[in-house]
Amino acid sequence: MNLFWREMKANRKSLTIWSACMFLLVAGGMGKYTAYSAGGTSSEVFEHMPFSLKALLGIGTLDVTTMSGFFALLFTYIELTAAAHAALLGSGILAKEERDKTAEFLMTKPISRSSVVTAKLAAALANVAVLNLVTLISSVVMVNAYNKGESVAAEIVLFLLSMFIVQLIFLSLGAFLSACLRNSKNSGPAAAGILLGSFAIAKITDLTDRLSILNALSPFKYFSIDRIAEGNGLGIGIALSALALTAVLAALTYRFYGRRELNL
Amino acid sequence: MNVIEMNRLTKHYGKSRGIADINLTVEEGEIFGFIGPNGAGKSTAIRTLLGLMRPTGGSATIFGQSCLEHPDIRRELGYLPSEVFYYDHMRVRELLNYSAGFYKKDCARRIRELADIMDLDLNKKIDDLSFGNKKKVGIVQGLLHEPKLIILDEPTSGLDPLMQQRFFDLLAEENRKGATVFFSSHILSEVQKMCSRVAFIKEGELIKLEKMSDLQADSYKRFTLEAASAIRAEDLQIEGVSKLENGQGANSVTFMFKGDINDMLRRISGIELRNISIEEPDLEEIFLHYYAKEDRAG
Repeated sequence: MNLFWREMKANRKSLTIWSACMFLLVAGGMGKYTAYSAGGTSSEVFEHMPFSLKALLGIGTLDVTTMSGFFALLFTYIELTAAAHAALLGSGILAKEERDKTAEFLMTKPISRSSVVTAKLAAALANVAVLNLVTLISSVVMVNAYNKGESVAAEIVLFLLSMFIVQLIFLSLGAFLSACLRNSKNSGPAAAGILLGSFAIAKITDLTDRLSILNALSPFKYFSIDRIAEGNGLGIGIALSALALTAVLAALTYRFYGRRELNL
Repeated sequence: MNVIEMNRLTKHYGKSRGIADINLTVEEGEIFGFIGPNGAGKSTAIRTLLGLMRPTGGSATIFGQSCLEHPDIRRELGYLPSEVFYYDHMRVRELLNYSAGFYKKDCARRIRELADIMDLDLNKKIDDLSFGNKKKVGIVQGLLHEPKLIILDEPTSGLDPLMQQRFFDLLAEENRKGATVFFSSHILSEVQKMCSRVAFIKEGELIKLEKMSDLQADSYKRFTLEAASAIRAEDLQIEGVSKLENGQGANSVTFMFKGDINDMLRRISGIELRNISIEEPDLEEIFLHYYAKEDRAG
């Protein structure tokens, strides 16, 4: 418990900054909605835009002139930001004890390695949940401010729920990398690399249907943005599989960290 | 009861030499010195004992239990690492309270007492502290929960002589109250003052385990004399002198001496001196003396 609160305190500043940036991203993103939804020439622009360009811009088949479609477009970037936060937090929270040379202090306390992992993952989970809530509240408030049509609050909640699961995947991935890589300093760059790689895969598979098998490699594609935007929910099967992936990564984190040769 | 037991403890890793086949036991209430030059494997042995590392072979226990399998046994342990690094952005008080939080007992009073003794300002930020003051934080951190076993890895480096003295008094007091103390050092004189037994480690192997009283009988001093005129070797040849050699410069000599220092000083008083130093021989010299002797005997 001691360690949990220590981690909460240590991450307080960083969480505040991420939350503020997330709010600005949502607020700034929504500010552009008026341009997209103005109708007239801008709608024609989207109609005549080639599909590959739409795919690259993240629009794809979304109708970005509607609120739910536009939020779905913005959501791609919100999710990327939240995933980056989760991946860096997950890889850093264990690795920093070795990086800052404090592992020798912590690991000679009467606490087992698995208790250390539990306390740190719990603190990371709380941080990720707070960022998700901040995003949820910012989104609902900002969307409400611009929305002239029917409420899309239910879709937003589903988007953010899917984002929470994606956050969990990257959090556990980061933690797993820091537990299993010999030099835990590399876990941050490795997690960031995997994050960008899976974002790139998501962009590539947007361009063509033939590569959709690659979607398995990209958590950003686990939940269909179109499906949520159309009000059809998350898909229980994929949600459970994604949670199972998180559970496996977390279990491997315990296993590898328990046997880890600490760099003292 | 054996508080510490190392049984054929072996640890090999990476580029470092590690340790091989270390056997030793420390009994309850002892003050035990662990001596060796830098890089001999002292820290490796301690870290393996405390469960920071997994042994390659053999076993190590404190209070009869392995720290790897029973991390909770470290509740009775106070440990001061050789290099003290702490969460920089914390204040001293925060760090000590954080440390205390792992032991499920109220340590506030003891923290104040120890900080008073060691002259440590609890309100400073740790990254503003000098090396010596960080070491003091480490010492207080290691003792604040009144552990039954105190393990210190090169505890005195960075402390000024006054603080070293207070620190040794503190250890003696803890020992009187029943704590077992195990500390490593590369300075023999430091160990001589405190320890009941001492183990020598060199290149990862335990080469000698002796009672301090036996070692003290063999207490060597290194003399270096510089005289106004040439020193005749026969003026100094009394019993206990060895390795008598010319030093740097024509009128200087160095030698090792074991015996009554007063006899030697009376001899020296007959020489017109420019300079003199009487030092503890460094460990290498001690090793050479003790073990060269043994080689001849064997």
